[in-house]
Amino acid sequence: MAVTLLLAAGGLGAGVFGALLGLGGGILIVPLLTLAFGLPFREAVAISLLAVITTSSASAAVYLERGVANLRLGMTLELLTATGALAGGLLAFILDERLLAGIFAAMLVYVAVSMARRREAGIDERPPDLVVDPTADASPPANGFAATLGGPGYAIRRLPLGLALSAFAGLQSALLGVGGGIVKVPAMHLAMGVPLRVATATSNLTIGVTASASAVLYLLRDALDPYVAGPVVVGVFVGATAAARIAHRVPLRVLRLLFVVVLVYVAVQMAGRAFGVVLG
Amino acid sequence: MGRVVGVVRDPVAGAVARLLMAGAIASVVLVAAGVVLMLAAGLRPTADSGPGPDPASIVADVVGLRPAGLLWAGLLLTVALPTARVALALAGFLRLGDRRASAVAAGVLGVLALAFAVALATS
Repeated sequence: MAVTLLLAAGGLGAGVFGALLGLGGGILIVPLLTLAFGLPFREAVAISLLAVITTSSASAAVYLERGVANLRLGMTLELLTATGALAGGLLAFILDERLLAGIFAAMLVYVAVSMARRREAGIDERPPDLVVDPTADASPPANGFAATLGGPGYAIRRLPLGLALSAFAGLQSALLGVGGGIVKVPAMHLAMGVPLRVATATSNLTIGVTASASAVLYLLRDALDPYVAGPVVVGVFVGATAAARIAHRVPLRVLRLLFVVVLVYVAVQMAGRAFGVVLG
Repeated sequence: MGRVVGVVRDPVAGAVARLLMAGAIASVVLVAAGVVLMLAAGLRPTADSGPGPDPASIVADVVGLRPAGLLWAGLLLTVALPTARVALALAGFLRLGDRRASAVAAGVLGVLALAFAVALATS
């Protein structure tokens, strides 16, 4: 009973963070299952991918309903993320688990630094319905296909770069059991000129397809325990649904600071695992 | 000075949103029921290993209220939901006559089908 509740509580926390920040929640679930519950890395990745899909479905439904997520842009990026995820899912069964833990730790440090910088930059955190985005590009709207993907007040820039980054996001998503949002959100916001709130919401939409492309590989290789996955998925659903509904009221600066602290702590733990060192 | 940006109103998005919410709720209800039955049966996560997915017996397991059957039904529905969402979007784009978006949606479905084929071939 206690283990079940702890798994559900961990899923709930991951669902809240994942939905609020467009990350899917896998970034917390993999360390939780491997470090706290001693699950093998690949099994943790498989469960995390299910949690990512749950976060995506629950939160994207709300973001689409409110018109924040950009469906056409998201689906265009999905073409490449799903392809990358397929490749990553195959690679994951070849690479050494300690190497994967090392890559995960490096990724956590990257995310922590990105988040800390974003906090310092003071990005606008008002509701997405009417936001003056100080980082929005004032260049003329794109021509051709990219022109059909923009939204009110913003145009899509550097679509090829965004697509290339999306393929990389899919690859690391499948390898590490994360949603890929840590690459997709900066790719959309910084490289393609999409407002941060729209990028976060659209990332939440796309991570479900990305994760499902590789989750099926884990499923058919019996790398998933339903008794562990069940409580985690229930917790994630509750957390992600609630977070998506209150996202516009949450002080993201505080949340980001907490998230950075957690990321750094988990990165140290995962690095210790990669190098075979047990840390307190 | 930045520019004013607003929300995206996509005619297909509403239908996709309703499918995602209904599917997510259905899958979580199945999984939650499986968790309750798992606890009632005295099964402990991480200590007791759950069985792998067996599509042939899932319906019978769900009807028979067996924990693993309910859990797998919910988990498989979870994995299938993004594909269903892309298929629904494809149908919507086709109905609107949006050929570019339809081609993109068909491409995503193709990649997902390829992933399933690769998983079957290599499992």
